[in-house]
Amino acid sequence: MVTLLTGGDASAQDVLQGSGADSSSALAKGMDTFWNYTGFSNISFGNIIMIVVGLFFIFLAIQFNYEPLLLVPIGTGIILGNIPFVEGFQIGIYEDGSVLNYLYFGVVKGVYPPLIFLGIGAMTDFSSLISNPRLMLLGAAAQIGVFGTFIGAMALGFEIHQAGAISIIGGADGPTAIFASSKLAPELIGSIAIAAYSYMALVPVIQPPIMKLLITKKERLIKMKPPRAVSKTEKILFPIIGMILTLFISPTALPLLGMLFFGNLLKECGVTERLAETARTKMIDIVTILLGLTVGASTQASVFLTKESIMIFVLGAASFIVATAGGLLFAKIMNLFLKDGHKINPLIGAAGVSAVPDSARVVQHEGLKSDPSNHLLMHAMAPNVSGVIGSAVAAGIMLSFLM
Amino acid sequence: MFYLLEAVNWSQIWVITAVGYSVVFSALILLIFVFKFMPKVLNMQLKRRLKKEGKYVEQGDTEEQYIAGEVNAAIGTALGLYFSDLHDDESKIITIKRVERRYSPWSSKIYNINNVLPSRR
Repeated sequence: MVTLLTGGDASAQDVLQGSGADSSSALAKGMDTFWNYTGFSNISFGNIIMIVVGLFFIFLAIQFNYEPLLLVPIGTGIILGNIPFVEGFQIGIYEDGSVLNYLYFGVVKGVYPPLIFLGIGAMTDFSSLISNPRLMLLGAAAQIGVFGTFIGAMALGFEIHQAGAISIIGGADGPTAIFASSKLAPELIGSIAIAAYSYMALVPVIQPPIMKLLITKKERLIKMKPPRAVSKTEKILFPIIGMILTLFISPTALPLLGMLFFGNLLKECGVTERLAETARTKMIDIVTILLGLTVGASTQASVFLTKESIMIFVLGAASFIVATAGGLLFAKIMNLFLKDGHKINPLIGAAGVSAVPDSARVVQHEGLKSDPSNHLLMHAMAPNVSGVIGSAVAAGIMLSFLM
Repeated sequence: MFYLLEAVNWSQIWVITAVGYSVVFSALILLIFVFKFMPKVLNMQLKRRLKKEGKYVEQGDTEEQYIAGEVNAAIGTALGLYFSDLHDDESKIITIKRVERRYSPWSSKIYNINNVLPSRR
């Protein structure tokens, strides 16, 4: 400490025994060194911008309740990651051996996303999907956001692996985007994760104008039949059959889909309630905290504020718009082939982007605006959860093509 | 910019896009087929078992019966209220159970940590 205070040139004895001019100059030198170690001395304009962004995320979460469980940890992480420091003391997230670096390991190696999927599986009720399986098509249609973004990223000059990683933002699924980028373009994890989670939080802002633009007033009033009752056997068979079928088609999605269906099996089998309870509450909460904080902290201004990050944000916004429009338009196309009385409300197509359950909630909200007795939430949950499966399959395909 | 676009092997990109998108669709279509026919298969087994037991009743109207969402919500609320009130109906037998504790030196008050009784001042 003394060496630190005196700038390494004066010994402890000099400070303790010295007097007069010697000790005051050593103290001044020490204070100067101390100042050089503080954040105030090392701050850059980029750090200030990122700290403001972090504060804005926290503001959005608290003031407008936009995905608070994600934006508060991410916003705090952004602030932590942009506190300036002198390198070499194992403090920063990119410094080997630092605490944040150890926690970030789960992001870089893709450990956290499958654990999040386990929790999502354990909390998701697939009944609406099982009762009306054709709505799964909407989840598939919305994946046009993934492939559209892939083409867009290539056109903007990204390298093919980076383009593959960026494209998963279009799946509107944060864990899948992080998982894919950890394998394809680890250098872009921070930007991709922040873009994916920011737009997921902004689903209530992004989707309604597109719905208004593409869906007519008459179409919004369509009432759908309530989903039929689903037997327990069907609910148990769904994760087992779903796991086997989808993983045989796309084995690279195994960590994600395997955990999603495993979590759902824990929930539905009826004999592992304790495990399901842990997966959907404490475990997913712990992993969300670690994931949000470290992803936020990975946005150090020096590595984050680049031209690529800006382009990723532009692509992310475009991908959400394309994915939403894809789902809505496909629902309208489906209606052309369906008989009266069996038609679907095209608004639920917007829930094909997998931001669970926010996009389904937006559909419910928009449906109620047109007809206060038209509850679309249960119907919207079907494309919503099939969107999760679809985006994980899409990520698996990208990985199998590009790895 | 145009230089960048020319450098990209676009045929490869279109192949990845087309194959990828169709694989996503085919995976979900496969699931649709399975889950469209699964209830029929399960019902067939149930029907066979009920017929064997002589409990099967032929249904004239094959149209599926739906219950409106509001009715479902009302039933759910009623069940919820019923089950949440169940705890009020107790057995009315209040018994204080005697708990037997076996003697163990580990829990003995005689052998405390210092084995010294607190002194009075």
